[in-house]
Amino acid sequence: MITIKNLNKHFGAVQAVKDLSLSIPAGELFCFLGPNGAGKTTTIKMLTGLLRPDSGTIKIGGFDIQTQSVEAKRILGYIPDMPFLYEKLTPVEFLKFVAGLYNISRSDLNANIEATLHQFGLQEARNALIGELSHGMRQRLLYIGTFIHNPKVILIDEPLIGLDPHSIRMIKDLLRAKVREGMTILLTTHILALAQDIADRIGIISRGKLIALGKMSELQTQSGSNGTLEDIFLKLTSAA
Amino acid sequence: MTPLTAIWMKDFYVLRNLRRMLQRESVFKVTFISLFAVGMMGGFFAMFLSGFRFLSDMGGGGFMITHRLFALFFLGLGAMLLMSNVITSYSTIFKSRETLFLLTTPLDTRTLITYKFIESSLLSSWAFFFLMLPYTAAYAWHARLGLLFPVWTLLLAIPFVLLCGAIGTLIALTAVRWFPRSRILWAVIAGIVLVSTIYGIVQIRPVLDEDASFILNRLLPGLQLASHPLMPNNWVAEGIMALTNGQWTRGLLLWLVLLTNTAVLLLLVQWLGERTFYSAFQKEAGATDLRRRPAELLSWLDKSLVFLPHDIRGMVMKDIRSFLRDPMQWSQALIFFGLLAIYFSSFRSFHYNLMPDLWRNLIVFLNIFSVSSVICSLAARFVFPQLSLEGHSFWILGLAPTGMRRILLTKFFLSALAMVTVSAGLMGLAAWMLQAGWALTTLSVGLAIAVSLSAAALATGLGAIFIDLKQPNPVAIISGFGGTMNLVFTLGFMLSVIIPFGFIWHWHVTSGFCGLPFRQANLAATIWVVILSVTTITIPLWLGVRSLKHREY
Repeated sequence: MITIKNLNKHFGAVQAVKDLSLSIPAGELFCFLGPNGAGKTTTIKMLTGLLRPDSGTIKIGGFDIQTQSVEAKRILGYIPDMPFLYEKLTPVEFLKFVAGLYNISRSDLNANIEATLHQFGLQEARNALIGELSHGMRQRLLYIGTFIHNPKVILIDEPLIGLDPHSIRMIKDLLRAKVREGMTILLTTHILALAQDIADRIGIISRGKLIALGKMSELQTQSGSNGTLEDIFLKLTSAA
Repeated sequence: MTPLTAIWMKDFYVLRNLRRMLQRESVFKVTFISLFAVGMMGGFFAMFLSGFRFLSDMGGGGFMITHRLFALFFLGLGAMLLMSNVITSYSTIFKSRETLFLLTTPLDTRTLITYKFIESSLLSSWAFFFLMLPYTAAYAWHARLGLLFPVWTLLLAIPFVLLCGAIGTLIALTAVRWFPRSRILWAVIAGIVLVSTIYGIVQIRPVLDEDASFILNRLLPGLQLASHPLMPNNWVAEGIMALTNGQWTRGLLLWLVLLTNTAVLLLLVQWLGERTFYSAFQKEAGATDLRRRPAELLSWLDKSLVFLPHDIRGMVMKDIRSFLRDPMQWSQALIFFGLLAIYFSSFRSFHYNLMPDLWRNLIVFLNIFSVSSVICSLAARFVFPQLSLEGHSFWILGLAPTGMRRILLTKFFLSALAMVTVSAGLMGLAAWMLQAGWALTTLSVGLAIAVSLSAAALATGLGAIFIDLKQPNPVAIISGFGGTMNLVFTLGFMLSVIIPFGFIWHWHVTSGFCGLPFRQANLAATIWVVILSVTTITIPLWLGVRSLKHREY
């Protein structure tokens, strides 16, 4: 569902991503780990088309993100680490706006929005302005907005920032449920326990280069360590 | 629903919610801003009306000027609109977080660029309509024009706004796509200087004949350009007058010329946007060259400020570096003051220095008013929120072995020094170019210094009293109660110190008010300015220091 081939990106003299190749099949939750400045966010931004790679190709559901960007974005959802929300809209207005951008039929939209707001515990805030919502509520609203067009691929940069334990559990359950339904999810995080908990496969990137890839057991073999993901991560990234 | 319909619906919701938010704002703030806006429009109306009456009293020449002034007015507004659109287009298209969001949705580039073009045109055009309304109303009143005059004005003004917006957007798109990021600003400045130079050369041509229209062009530079049949501003001016006078065919023709040209430019914006925007945006988003940025900006200045105590030097250097690394701040200041400097520098090219005392006096006070207004708005925009914007890093200042008094006074002196240098320099330049005489020069520079010091003190002091360390958005900080209060006091101070001198000097040049009474009136006004300045400098700073000392963080 996500195919990355020989991806490279420079910022001046710094090479943020080095010859990255990766393939993520449908229905997989892939965790992208790495120290600060390793190239995770740059990769995600190239996957969304916000940054142009110096070389290499990215395909989302078979569509090239550079040359068939509109088609690729129809099946893509993106949750950035510092998301933008329209402060002067209410949650209902925001969701209707997003639905309009994806040309979703309005016939069942109102009922769907109400049901989803209820599911995410936002029904009380349906008339408030987004600018008045707490951080956790805004994050939950963002998830609803991202899932509204039922994307095939979701990219999430730091999914749990600022969420309380209840919301964290809800988001984790939601992501796993979506993967079971066939959605492909690529997320980056610094919370290694989360990655170990929910990921089907894990990729570790350091200084722009993919240094390890596979399931937990495969990472243990690659690193020569039987410890936790934290042990493996620290060992691999300090050696790189 | 199509994506474009969804965007318009979103804007409709935002407008509806803005009304809801306005109802929650303090009555004081809404009343003050409304009264100030209406008062300013009323003032412009009275000024334009008296100008038209003055020109009527002049007879034949005055009539010719009045007729052409319409075209000149739209030329000036068009130039302002164009420059404003270049900057607004750049920020709404390339720097807005909304663009980033919309780019992750399946919105096609053509729709996105059309929407952003309309958004930037609307954002840039409020000042155009704010000035056009009193001007056209004064003209309609003076010439006793019919009720349809405002309709014709709007009919031609709206496509004119879009035309200027389209040119601005095209410049912004071209600049970002084909100029290296670090050189865009220099390219814009070079463009403005080049246009000004060409314009200056065109205006200072040798005398070829002495017909009435040539004399008019010498009296009012720009008139020739404004009245050129290929200039869109002339289509607007001529079209409005033709429709008002019942010349339907000519009016309709000019309207259609304007409309078709605007439509072609709109198509050009879409065409260029579709081909260049995506790659230009990606280039802009990925343009970071760490090698180019020095590890320590202005280290020479840091070394040369050794005479300052270490804590003050640290704060000064931190504020200067933060200011220089925030293009939103310095570019706005540069544009405001740069335009004023270009305008003041051209006084002699426009022969303003040869005008009668009455006019030169008027121009001096208008200059004081414009420089002071810019100072007040910059103080409200940048000085007032600076303490709040320390935000979560305020603990660094709070825990440092320095006092709140020193922190506040450092911020005051630094902003005051910058504003005094620029405003006094500009006023000195304007007075010198006008050959205004030592008394008027001293007065204008003195008033600029007084306004700068008081604006800096009010903004710093009130910024400390109404500090909000949790708010990262400067616009939200400014638009709160404290920000409004700061604006009220600053503008109130500005008017309180300029108006007394304005009256005294106006009587001096019109009614022969001179000798000892004139000198006594000047002395009284000076004492008034000094007392008011000392009060507005000391009290807010004292209250600000007290507030910071007693606050829990």
